Amino acid sequence: MTNRWQIPDLGIGMGLRSPHTAHILTNQPSVDWFEALSENYMDTGGRPAYTLDRVAERYPVVLHGVSLSIGGTDPLDRDYLRKLKALARRVNARWVSDHLCWTGVSGRNTHDLLPLPYNEETLRHTAERVRQVSDFLGMPLVVENPSSYVEFASSTMTEWDFITRLAEEADCGLLCDVNNIYVSSFNHSFDPAAYVDAMPVDRIVQVHLAGHTNHGTHIIDTHSDYVIDEVWKLYARLCERTGNVATMIEWDADIPDFETVHAEARKAEKYRGAAAKVAYA
Amino acid sequence: MDAVATPEPLKAPGVETVILPSKTLKPIDRVGIYHGMYLLRMIEALDVDYPAVAWHLGEHRFQHLVADYVTHYPSRSYTLNRLGDEMPEFIAAQESLPRRAFLHDLARLELAMTQAFDEEESPAMPSDALTSLGDVDVTRLRFQTIAALRLVAFEYDVNAFFTSFRNDEKASPRRAKTFLIVHRQDYSVYRTPLTKSAHSFLASLRDGLTVGEALDEHVRRFHRTPSQPELFSWFRDWTAAGLFRSITVKD
Repeated sequence: MTNRWQIPDLGIGMGLRSPHTAHILTNQPSVDWFEALSENYMDTGGRPAYTLDRVAERYPVVLHGVSLSIGGTDPLDRDYLRKLKALARRVNARWVSDHLCWTGVSGRNTHDLLPLPYNEETLRHTAERVRQVSDFLGMPLVVENPSSYVEFASSTMTEWDFITRLAEEADCGLLCDVNNIYVSSFNHSFDPAAYVDAMPVDRIVQVHLAGHTNHGTHIIDTHSDYVIDEVWKLYARLCERTGNVATMIEWDADIPDFETVHAEARKAEKYRGAAAKVAYA
Repeated sequence: MDAVATPEPLKAPGVETVILPSKTLKPIDRVGIYHGMYLLRMIEALDVDYPAVAWHLGEHRFQHLVADYVTHYPSRSYTLNRLGDEMPEFIAAQESLPRRAFLHDLARLELAMTQAFDEEESPAMPSDALTSLGDVDVTRLRFQTIAALRLVAFEYDVNAFFTSFRNDEKASPRRAKTFLIVHRQDYSVYRTPLTKSAHSFLASLRDGLTVGEALDEHVRRFHRTPSQPELFSWFRDWTAAGLFRSITVKD
């Protein structure tokens, strides 16, 4: 099954991380695509910009943000959006994603992905903002399900119901982070398989996988380790519904060498659907 | 950083009316996860921008400095790249901080390096640009400097201290008036010591004065004209370092 926009499966990608950039530029490894963290490249004209431009010359690139604050109550930051759009054009980003969250209030940025209460008011508010961003960017925003450590008393629906309705009402794409589903299911005691089964697969254009840190009482989404078997099983379950969809591993702390991360990402091949990867022009 | 900073105990009256408990954590503990991670994130970001300041202070005192700093200067940007912009002035205002004058200089150096790293790319002019001008009155030349250039003056030799830090060598603050070019060339940031006289002359060029006006300013400040060999070596080194992006001739 393909997504409703016919956005092609890019294959198995990597997050573009500074410890790996010298290796990538020198060796030009066989990687299907790269995901770059938008904010790392929006306000620099130095080596990061040079690196991303060289990578974009050779590989498909997607942009992934952490500061859009799509669920926030501060007005959308037009300066940020202008720079994001310019960056997306510069590197020919196949799509632009960010998280279902808020990051701050009254102009202050916590640089965290703070969870939202899942109710009608938040849904209307967030859907309107997603539509505004998609209109501005000229492409459907791709929204990622977050990992979270709190649940709100004012929530009236599950996260997967909220995301399904948001995607419909805002007509946006989805980035399904399977590790986030697992982390939140542990922290909030729900069935992760039910979440995976409820995702509107025709809107999923990308999948994230990652490792995490289990503290016993709760799990923190640290992106600091290998993907655990339970998350791979959830990924396999999702792939049965989505078919091949662009997939990558996020590894942001205690980052091992490029080959180790790439090998971990390539494990996804085992679970991906049988359909041939769509060649990317 | 390995050690975990201990934030102030979280006080959130009424949190249980907003946040649900989990099977294992009370509402206040669940909010506390975010509370604790906030300070760690700020420490990590500022440790990237101010590694030598952190090295000099040690982990514990640096964490306290960051905790105080972000209380006064919380991030108001979508990027953490700008979080540390006020750190030098904040350090200068911390009367209880030992060796704060030295730390102020060190923070100014590290901020200059960060700024040079991130500045927009402005290609340097060709090395033969000066000679290709032909027969022209050099005093009417105006040099445009690259964006990724910072000229800094210090009361302490923080450049030597920073070099020791980079080499993982023991170092102590040494009081000495020093002058430095911090610039980026081929996507690497360089630190180049120079004399007070050269620093002043280059600053005049950066500020848009012609060579003639810069010479007049130099005479006003130092009561002498730079010698021909001095001027030759300055322009030779600065051109080779790629500090200029273009030359214009004043009408």
